[in-house]
Amino acid sequence: MIVDETVLSLGISLLALFFAGLLATKVNQSLTAVFIVVGMILQNFFPLTIITEFIATLGIIFMLFMFGLEFSVGNLFNNQRKIFYTGIYDLLFNFPLGLFLGWILGYDLMHSLLFGGIVYVTSSVIVAKSIIDLKRSANPETEYLLNILIFEDMFIAIFLAFIVGILNYGHIDTKGTSIVMLKTSAFFLFFIILARTSKKFIDKIIDIEHTELFVILILSIIVLSAGAASKIGLSEAIGAFLAGLLLSETKQRHRISEAIKPFQQFSTAIFFVAFGMSIDYKHVAGLIPVGIFIFVVSSFSKVYGGYFVGRRYRLSARAGLRLGFSLIPRGEFSIILAGTIAMNPGLPYPLKSLTGVYVLLSAILGSIIMKESDGFIKWFGERKEKETKRISNHPGRLPE
Amino acid sequence: MSEIKECDLPGIGKKFSLELDSGDKLVVVIHSSGEREVFKFTRGNDEPTSVTTLSDEEARQIGAILSGTYFQPVVEDEPKLTMKNVTMEWIKIAPDSMLANKKIEELDIRKTTGVSITTIIRGETVIPNPCSGEIIKPQDTLIIIGNTDQIKNFMSTFEIRQHVEK
Repeated sequence: MIVDETVLSLGISLLALFFAGLLATKVNQSLTAVFIVVGMILQNFFPLTIITEFIATLGIIFMLFMFGLEFSVGNLFNNQRKIFYTGIYDLLFNFPLGLFLGWILGYDLMHSLLFGGIVYVTSSVIVAKSIIDLKRSANPETEYLLNILIFEDMFIAIFLAFIVGILNYGHIDTKGTSIVMLKTSAFFLFFIILARTSKKFIDKIIDIEHTELFVILILSIIVLSAGAASKIGLSEAIGAFLAGLLLSETKQRHRISEAIKPFQQFSTAIFFVAFGMSIDYKHVAGLIPVGIFIFVVSSFSKVYGGYFVGRRYRLSARAGLRLGFSLIPRGEFSIILAGTIAMNPGLPYPLKSLTGVYVLLSAILGSIIMKESDGFIKWFGERKEKETKRISNHPGRLPE
Repeated sequence: MSEIKECDLPGIGKKFSLELDSGDKLVVVIHSSGEREVFKFTRGNDEPTSVTTLSDEEARQIGAILSGTYFQPVVEDEPKLTMKNVTMEWIKIAPDSMLANKKIEELDIRKTTGVSITTIIRGETVIPNPCSGEIIKPQDTLIIIGNTDQIKNFMSTFEIRQHVEK
């Protein structure tokens, strides 16, 4: 009976997701935000089951695997300078701000760090999709934007491994930090060296014609890597991410992506629903003002940071501002970060619900702002022009 | 000619941009899916004034037209479209040929044999659908179209011996 009800509720969830998603694509909104809202509504009808949570965990694993797969280690090495120098400014502008905001909200160091990550990371899924939809792929700012996103994803992947490691250790101290750092770097190094040296060997192993066996082998690689990471006290997600990196250099990359995509799409959708279901209504109303405050402050720093990077690389003011406006949407990684930490009711502002509010605000408004950024920039430019005119018309002032 | 700038767009594809002599900029983005987008940026503008999206196949056709190597290979590529006994023939014009140094109109080819000249290949240049005033020169290659009887008729009327092996 229990199984039946779970299956039925899963079916209802999926149907609700379909209709909500259909609506979202009609108005060009991100699926991430809509799926969370569906989850928030569905929690009134049935509880979050262990099975849903398990699928949600797989959702994180597959999502990170796909990130890794899309990521090419070769590309990372070729463009490392460019990626580093664009990404580091974005990091310096936004991560400390998040950390500071966390501290103001009364979080301890660990939660503040986590909040720093949540505020810092832009949703590459939402932004990449918007770039294509808005036909901006050839714009001068786009390559810098994508480099920033790569840096962020890479940073957050390592950060995730680290923070979960610390969490499993229990608390932050010098000894724990160094142990976790050592473990994380050893794990990363192992996979990167494997990807660089054993390309041919891996190619040979996964060269299987049989479709079913191929899928099973790839799934086993993903889940084993995730499990291994979990076993040594790191995040499962990071294991999957590295498995993706490992396979991204192989000839079968495209076939792997095709084979895993359906699993990923299904389980990731359930992950967002599960997250939405775990958002507590009781807190949400009270959290909206705080959410808006954080959204405004962090959007401002994102826009300024993007503008700064743009100007540094000699883009026009317009392109620089467009770059900044494109960095506002937050999404999947913020939620993964918030989801890694079990709810701690002792915290003044429940982290999970606050992140939910924040991501909803920034994903929905961020997509709109990105689309309408030209209007903003024009308005901004005209005002500036008027000001300069007024100054230059001022009597007694010499023309420059 | 200025050089083509190449740049990776991770997660999207590859970008190629070319500064034109006019000051405008042409940017081609090849998506990982095979789709191409062609953007035009006017001088000093960093937003595209036009965007054209092409499928892989369309892009190849346009590319062939732009590079000047395109003509419709009816026989080889679209066998379903060609009717049963319609053929195309490649014919090399010898210096002593009856066709050499004559205008197409004065030869009255279509009236006497039923065959049409679709293309003249002259060295590096290709003349598709030559007009009736065009003069056929020695060393030209003609591409003619007609049914088997018409082609045979053409060959005997103008005493052609030399066709080009495709």
